[in-house]
Amino acid sequence: MDVTKQEAEATLEQIQALANHTRRAIASKYTSPLLILWGLVFTVAYLGTHFFVARAFHIWMVLDAIGLIGTFFICWQQLRSASPIKVSPAEKMGWRMFWFWTLLFVYIFIWLNIMAPVKAVQMNAFMVTAVMFASVAKGLWLRSSFMVWFGLAVTAITLFGLYLVPRTYYCLWMAVMAGGAFLASGLYLRLRWR
Amino acid sequence: MAQLDNIIHQPVRLQIMSSLVALDPGEQVDFVHLRKILNLTDGNLGAHLTRLEEAGYIKIEKTFIARKPRTFISVTGRGRDAFDEHIVALEKIIQGRTNQ
Repeated sequence: MDVTKQEAEATLEQIQALANHTRRAIASKYTSPLLILWGLVFTVAYLGTHFFVARAFHIWMVLDAIGLIGTFFICWQQLRSASPIKVSPAEKMGWRMFWFWTLLFVYIFIWLNIMAPVKAVQMNAFMVTAVMFASVAKGLWLRSSFMVWFGLAVTAITLFGLYLVPRTYYCLWMAVMAGGAFLASGLYLRLRWR
Repeated sequence: MAQLDNIIHQPVRLQIMSSLVALDPGEQVDFVHLRKILNLTDGNLGAHLTRLEEAGYIKIEKTFIARKPRTFISVTGRGRDAFDEHIVALEKIIQGRTNQ
């Protein structure tokens, strides 16, 4: 078989590109519905907090619970039928995703208790940026530039809202910009990899 | 000495193997999803999968999920080894130590 140096280089590049493409395509199948779900949860919760600030605690409790139940349901559904990959029981990606995010929220709760007392806005910004840090780390791990940029963009949106937007409009800003970023990203992934 | 693998080097089969080795060991990809990732037709993908299966490089598993037939494909240990050897052979060509 005659293969030139240039052909060998091109082949190796093609192999690397396809490997990355495959990882991203599979990861997006899991990520897209979760981004849409949490985009809806965040948008409604922030809007609720903006307009009914006295009920903010209950709004977030209820919507976070809906988000967690929805996350569990999506992971369960993906394992049952919609999953593009089948894995051995010990390595089920859906469950790994579920436990990853569940543990992250447990740790966020622990960190917030360690740092208490913090203002509600600071607490919220901390939670969002912690989740976005996880997104960036996962993106680097999966070699998904989308997840890295998504994480960095929402972090920037949050910091802008925290430091530059008047406090009375922080929730409105986050509803539109952060919730919107989740929804737009989820829809983009769904259309991109359909 | 690493050799280029004639079966793997065919462009479509190279695409298939590149995608499959990107999965973690133990993972199997759905036929329909693989077809979408590689932008191939059913017939084209099926023919090349058969060739790779005959070589012992991949495993094809047909099953039913929610009463619907599903086909899952995974790379075998032998397939991973052959692919790794193919990569090494390509790297040697790039480094000027041709062994075709």
